[in-house]
Amino acid sequence: MTADMFLGVATGIPWTLAVTAAAFVLGAALGLPLCAMRLSNVALLRVIALVYIILFRSVPPLLWVFVFFFGLGSGYLPISAFEGVVLGLGLITAANMAEIYRGALSAIHAGQWEASEALALPSYSTYLDIIAPQLLRVSLPSSASYAVGLLKDSAIASTIGVTDISFNANYIAKSTYQGLPVFAIAALFYIMISLPVAALARAADQKLRARVAL
Amino acid sequence: MMNLNPDTLKLPQRELAGQADKPILRLEAIRKVYGKHVVLDDLNLTLRSGEVVAIIGPSGSGKSTLLRCINMLGPATSGRVVVGDLAIDESIPPTAQQLTSLRRSVGMVFQSFNLFPHMSVLRNVSLPQERVLGRSRKDADKRSRELLARVGLAEKADQYPARCSGGQQQRIAIARALALDPQIMLFDEPTSALDPELGLEVLLVMQELARSGMTMLVVTHEMNFAETVSDRVIIMADGKIIEEGPSKEVMRDPQTDRAKRFLKAVKDR
Repeated sequence: MTADMFLGVATGIPWTLAVTAAAFVLGAALGLPLCAMRLSNVALLRVIALVYIILFRSVPPLLWVFVFFFGLGSGYLPISAFEGVVLGLGLITAANMAEIYRGALSAIHAGQWEASEALALPSYSTYLDIIAPQLLRVSLPSSASYAVGLLKDSAIASTIGVTDISFNANYIAKSTYQGLPVFAIAALFYIMISLPVAALARAADQKLRARVAL
Repeated sequence: MMNLNPDTLKLPQRELAGQADKPILRLEAIRKVYGKHVVLDDLNLTLRSGEVVAIIGPSGSGKSTLLRCINMLGPATSGRVVVGDLAIDESIPPTAQQLTSLRRSVGMVFQSFNLFPHMSVLRNVSLPQERVLGRSRKDADKRSRELLARVGLAEKADQYPARCSGGQQQRIAIARALALDPQIMLFDEPTSALDPELGLEVLLVMQELARSGMTMLVVTHEMNFAETVSDRVIIMADGKIIEEGPSKEVMRDPQTDRAKRFLKAVKDR
């Protein structure tokens, strides 16, 4: 093992972080309207959301990324490898986050909706001011563990040429014929990113829990 | 700080100032059924401006259901609710505008407080003013602080609800409802989730509110409040009003057997 190997793999860290963060933000944001559609009174919206969720959750992430990058990317909608992987993983994340939000919603006391109604709050305010903040708080532990899973899935980016941790590790392993130490270094980096994310989520969860006792 | 002396609850009944006023709330033939079960059976009720009416009765008699019909949290199957100039037919879905103006006129306090746990006490009281009445943050906060002082909780403004006792939370909920300047306040068993001492501080706030001339409809198990603070008592059983009249008369000399049985049961404990 040499310092070159270590640095070489390390240059992939920003890309791994960027793919994970971008896909998660996209998914966490799209998950909210998707969850609302899933619970809508309008049957059509419910069906669309359900089909979306089933479609994006039952096809492997690798396949979705290929669909966006090689499928759409070849002519229809020219996108970069980074955009392709963020789109693929982001849309899958949206489906999963919608289900996480739906679970969290049942933890919010019915009285919160009733109080909002009785106070004549407009529905935008009920969702944005009252429900969404509590929803995000309740879904924090599940979201964080999903984000850690997503970090690992982001390695798919390497298959379409995004120079992330896995891409660099693969490249260096092939050029040095020293697979074991190189991939061990890559594994170490993934662990070093996962652990703080999990710890941060736990700390935030405990802090919010203490404040609102929910 | 507020006076927590229980004797203040036993003050003589206040004057019936609003007696001559025109009705502020009228319920006409309110009926609610779940399948074959009749929860409210053609109920009629009129409240004059400034009147305080207590609704008592055994569990399952439809008291809370009636309150929830008034602000349409749980609309009746049929019947009409008239608040001031606003008349609403409960059997058809109301327009958004009707619903908003109904709920602006009618404030509600819940048994389980239902404060927003992720907001400070001040935000709890200010947010609805901003979103519903369009008040600026500054004006809303000013009004909130006045109301929090009125319920004896000026110093809790920056705390979160979880840091307040149940009695304090309920007083905050009262301030939050009052902040929208309602014409009528509905109380749905406001002290049932509280131990007697914390319940008392809520009752004192309600008593002060009654004195100030607020029109109040209170579903309660607090017999002392019903007898000494309210102007009128309504006893409900099986979805019907079985007895109704001036508080002292109803509480001390009920006419129907069902009412006698109920009052004997609650007084003999």
